[in-house]
Amino acid sequence: MKKFDYLKPHTLEEALSLLSQYGDKARLIAGGTDAIVMNKQKKISPDVLISLQGIQGLDQIESNGTFKIGALVTHRTIEQSERIKKRFPLLAEASSVLGSVQIRNVATLGGNLCTASPSAETAPSLLVYEAEVLLVSRMEERRLSLPSFFLGPGETALDKKEILKEIILPSPPPNSLGAYLKLGRRKSVDLSVVNVAVLLTLDPKTGICERARIALGAVAPTPLRAKETEKILEGNLLDERLIIRAGDWAKQECSPITDIRGSAEYRREMVAVLVAKAIKQSVKLPRK
Amino acid sequence: MQDFINIGKRIPKMDAEDKVTGKAVYIQDLKVPGMLWGKILYSPHPHARILNMDTSAAERLPGVKAVLTGYNTPLIKFGFYKDNMPLKANKVCSYRDEVAAVAATDPDIAEEALGLIRVEYEILPAIFDPEDAMKEGALLIHEEHLGGKEKKPTNILNLPWRLVAGDVDEARKNSAHVAEDRFKLTWVNHCCMGTSGCVARFDLRNNLTIYSNTQIPALAQRDYTEALAAMGLEGKKARVIKTTIGGAFGSKLDTYAYEYIAILLAYKTRKPVKIIFTREEEFFATSPRQPAVIDIAQGCTKDGTFTFRDVRMVLDNGAYTSWGATTPSVMMMPISSLYKVPNVRYVAKCVYTNNTYSQAFRGYGNPQATFAIESQIDALAEMAGIDPLDFRMRNANTPGEVTPQHFNITTCGLRECIDVVAQKLDWRQNRGKRDGRGIGMASMIHVGGGARVYKSDGCGTIIKIDDFGTVNVITGATDMGQGADTVIAQIVAEELGVRVEDVIVTHTDTDICPWDVGAHASRTTFVAGNSARGASKKVKEQLLEVASRSLGENPENLDIRDRTIFSKLDPEKKSPLGKILRASHYTAGGRMVMAEHFYDPPNENLDREFKGNLSVTYAYGTHGVEVEVDKETGQVKILKYVAAHDVGRAINPMLLEGQVYGGAAMGIGYALTEQLILKNGKVINPDFRDYKILTAADVPNIEAVVIETDDPSGPFGAKGIGEPGLVPTAPAIANAIYDAVGVRIKELPITPEKVLAALKEKTK
Repeated sequence: MKKFDYLKPHTLEEALSLLSQYGDKARLIAGGTDAIVMNKQKKISPDVLISLQGIQGLDQIESNGTFKIGALVTHRTIEQSERIKKRFPLLAEASSVLGSVQIRNVATLGGNLCTASPSAETAPSLLVYEAEVLLVSRMEERRLSLPSFFLGPGETALDKKEILKEIILPSPPPNSLGAYLKLGRRKSVDLSVVNVAVLLTLDPKTGICERARIALGAVAPTPLRAKETEKILEGNLLDERLIIRAGDWAKQECSPITDIRGSAEYRREMVAVLVAKAIKQSVKLPRK
Repeated sequence: MQDFINIGKRIPKMDAEDKVTGKAVYIQDLKVPGMLWGKILYSPHPHARILNMDTSAAERLPGVKAVLTGYNTPLIKFGFYKDNMPLKANKVCSYRDEVAAVAATDPDIAEEALGLIRVEYEILPAIFDPEDAMKEGALLIHEEHLGGKEKKPTNILNLPWRLVAGDVDEARKNSAHVAEDRFKLTWVNHCCMGTSGCVARFDLRNNLTIYSNTQIPALAQRDYTEALAAMGLEGKKARVIKTTIGGAFGSKLDTYAYEYIAILLAYKTRKPVKIIFTREEEFFATSPRQPAVIDIAQGCTKDGTFTFRDVRMVLDNGAYTSWGATTPSVMMMPISSLYKVPNVRYVAKCVYTNNTYSQAFRGYGNPQATFAIESQIDALAEMAGIDPLDFRMRNANTPGEVTPQHFNITTCGLRECIDVVAQKLDWRQNRGKRDGRGIGMASMIHVGGGARVYKSDGCGTIIKIDDFGTVNVITGATDMGQGADTVIAQIVAEELGVRVEDVIVTHTDTDICPWDVGAHASRTTFVAGNSARGASKKVKEQLLEVASRSLGENPENLDIRDRTIFSKLDPEKKSPLGKILRASHYTAGGRMVMAEHFYDPPNENLDREFKGNLSVTYAYGTHGVEVEVDKETGQVKILKYVAAHDVGRAINPMLLEGQVYGGAAMGIGYALTEQLILKNGKVINPDFRDYKILTAADVPNIEAVVIETDDPSGPFGAKGIGEPGLVPTAPAIANAIYDAVGVRIKELPITPEKVLAALKEKTK
């Protein structure tokens, strides 16, 4: 592993100033579960690692008014947070199956998004919740929707001089039900072959699906919303036939590749299976 | 059952506390004053000619003490086929080929120096499929390698694995049912938690000390001594000191290039040199399980009695040769002797390719062969319209049998194992439903009473007792985590009438410990155990003799119980062991109590036809599994797992169950998830992210059932149990999957993708 300097600023301003000072030579690090591994594998070779761990407030969850999760909140915190489990159960579920307990103790929500893996564990859930990210630089702040944040594998809209500060979660409509499903090869320390999040809002009287949000992971260069599939469900009663059709449709909306974890054909097939399963699971089960 | 004090007791492993608290010293922890760090530069190509090398920039880097290549080091040939060398000159034949090595004051500097070495290659075409490499006119991996009757250049090794008993062709004609299949097995890594490593140092007289992870100290010592001779240091001595071994499973049954490189660097720099593998190196530069392409046919009569078994194999040897190429010698065992099969034929070819080369790995070929045999038994039973449970019972081995390979089956608990597994799975009730849930079983045979692979299968033990009655056992055995230290202590304590905590087992140093052929073939409890027991008996005789003087009683009337020597005639006549020893030491004309014993079991080498009674006794076992198969995703979930083993006697049920749990967990990984994936010779998953070893959360509850047959040749009746735990796992799972959804997967690992593809194929 190439040697690097490790800087630990105490304020966001200080961190931003270090970031503009070192430019390309610097790399931000939060939990380090990706950054250190990439460094060892020589995929990145920064001269300076700027840790965000010393910055106060980045590890907070704010639920008064707008729901905000600081970028440095760990997955362990998320999976155990009563507030998140109550209001954003799919996110809690996703965080609870990421890596292992040891990894979840240090890996952060912001880190998971900034690594921008197509299979990012929390991305599908955040996509169906229509989460936004707040990016700050010395000059300005901007809010981006997740679909415009993710640009490609390992690529985000984050500018070199920006830091992801928090994740903003609008409240889903009442009567929303959902599910997050991960298909992997093992029960822990595993990356998804496919992951799917589904969030449905049903009319409590008629049972008709008023609003559908479906997101897919590990089946395209970025995690993505399956918008055409959502449209198929919206305004309709969710019966077996429609659910299967939705799965088939979702298959068409993704563009998986063949890699070491699964073939494109299998992934496509699994999108259909998981979407259908997630819809069924959402409808049957009330929110956790 | 006999009334034992120490045998049959659940005693935690001697060094368990040291290990769980981090006190045990592994090779990773070891630091020697003045130590340098060695790093190895590997080939970036699977097959290439080295045109030019420039190490000058690396040599100039501050902190670098030596840069070695195949051009500035003496030629050391190693491996049993002597086709490997520590640093390659002229040509590289695989991605793991070592082309240069650096010793530096710091591992980062060594690493940086590797980046400064310039090597110019001419890339050669490469060959990765052994069946292609066998063809006439195929490109040659080693141009100088000659083979066959005509002694022509060839990729096929001169290892004529061939076992024939009876008349297979005739038997085939007379069979009512014949099943024919092709099975394919791939590479899997041992995944030792402690990666490979060593520290080599020379004294001023050029004698070598090497701190090593080896599981074959005496044979490794011989290898190193040969290397010293090749370095011009003839007559110099090699001392092997083992640190705590972080897992071996066969991976440390041979010596590797990195060890010779450490020796060469230490000699060059006159400093101790340490080489420790990264996990990535552990995956691509150590030797995995031997892959195999297996064509198998088995036949039976109308009533399901075996008529013949006919097996042909092609083994991908990789670019160099280690023990993987000799796994056919063990594959022969299940092929000839698992169930009663009157006519047997087995032919295997090992073929050079530009892939990695393989090694011994727990089971030593047996899991590969058993996967094919036991998977196909279910298919054959189905053809014959017989429940596979009945088919197995009908053909099961029995005591007193002599198998086609001339194994004398003495104690044999196979039927009991099959029976208990069937009961636990509620076989008649649960089988044959095809409703997504299914059950399956598979059995195994393995050597359980040593294995005469070399001219000797022996192990020595020295026992001495100090002033306080502490028993020092100095054994040739190797403890690599399996529990040899504890089992030997129990055996000695039982024989000597002391407590296990009175026994200190030393097994770490070739300058101190007696000779042994190594921890292989599940032989340690049996061979080292018998050796320790023999030494104990001799020591006991001496003790009673010494005591007879101070107690005034004939030795034959004395015995030892709970650290006390007493008269069987007059229980008042007694003395603590320590007191007797002190009296012996402090008396004029005194003596010390000490004995040695060399036990070499009465087993046989295989003859030219590969026949002979390889082991004194054989271990049997049956695994049963219930699975649930998700027909939508192809995922297989294990609901129930039963592992029944004929162990002779459980000296320590806790450690024994540990062997079974560990074996089964490894076997489940082999069956369902694990695969070292090579793409054109390159390992593309050299990490635990993509090499899917089971995590703790993935290991199902494994029920270990111990069947005791009290083998008369074993120490207190025990047989070996080191390897059996993973031998029948994969076929038991494959059979259960077939029972659940009606598809037979013939290639490991059985991934969800393969299951789903087979399900689709079936509904076409």
